[in-house]
Amino acid sequence: MSGEEEENAAELKIGDEFLKAKCLMNCEVSLILEHKYEQLQQSSDDAMNQVSQVFEKSLQYVKRFSRYKNPDAVRQVREILARYQLAEFELCVLGNLCPETVEEAIAMVPSIKTRGRAQDDEAIEKMLNDLSLIKKFE
Amino acid sequence: MFLKVQLPWNVIIAAENLKPGSLMLQRAILIRLLSDFAAKKATKDMGYFLAVTTLDKIGEGKVRQHTGDVLFPVVFNAVTFKIFKGEVLEGVVHKVLKHGVFMRIGPIENAYLSSSKMPGYVYVLGENPYFMNQKMPKIAKDVKVRVVVIGTKWMEAEREFQALVGLEGDYLGPISSPDM
Repeated sequence: MSGEEEENAAELKIGDEFLKAKCLMNCEVSLILEHKYEQLQQSSDDAMNQVSQVFEKSLQYVKRFSRYKNPDAVRQVREILARYQLAEFELCVLGNLCPETVEEAIAMVPSIKTRGRAQDDEAIEKMLNDLSLIKKFE
Repeated sequence: MFLKVQLPWNVIIAAENLKPGSLMLQRAILIRLLSDFAAKKATKDMGYFLAVTTLDKIGEGKVRQHTGDVLFPVVFNAVTFKIFKGEVLEGVVHKVLKHGVFMRIGPIENAYLSSSKMPGYVYVLGENPYFMNQKMPKIAKDVKVRVVVIGTKWMEAEREFQALVGLEGDYLGPISSPDM
């Protein structure tokens, strides 16, 4: 069923171009799409005004599935996760799912343990604690 | 996963739309790009096309011999959405059937969660059918569920992706975070 036999995000086998690509968390996309939507609403120009169905569905989705709402909090989440040697893909999955324990984090993103950088449990725990602090003070 | 990508594109402006003045031209190119972008909907490689974020470069226009249109090579940044086998994601159930449920994940309308991939769940018939599990919350319409992607398929004709998802794995299943 899948296009590429070897693809497996759990092992970060997602294709070189995606490993290097910039990934965005739901909360970041929410800010981008909401801003776009406002811009388009304000534009009196009909030609610039249309949003596609894909846009509408995605906007609905990211609004519902963003763990962080405040732009400062969103920025902080990115900053904190960036301190750990994570691939963009891994960073975003963690920022989207907000695992509460080290076990959960590893279940969500198995590659953080397997890909040679071997993040130790302590580092992962610290990262999760920092994230939950942002949530508390949002 | 949402991606920020930089893409090259060829924008074609019909001869009659080439108004004098570079601002008008830039605007015509942008409008055309946005229109083409929305119409394209998705590609197998990049996923679903959501929004153009910046227009980085507009190259020199080339007149097309037979039509008199002008082709402008442009480079722009956009947000796209693509799912990968093995990725863990959250979505919403929108249809419950006897053999599984359909979920919305991002712009994907029909991610299929088969009952064979819902260990411990049984189908409960009724006006509002749902799947029940002794140890976990039920899976019903409008319930948010965390799933793993088992497989994806690009449908060329419809220009969309189909996905097969499952709950086999730790920390997967219905999530009950307060709705935002």
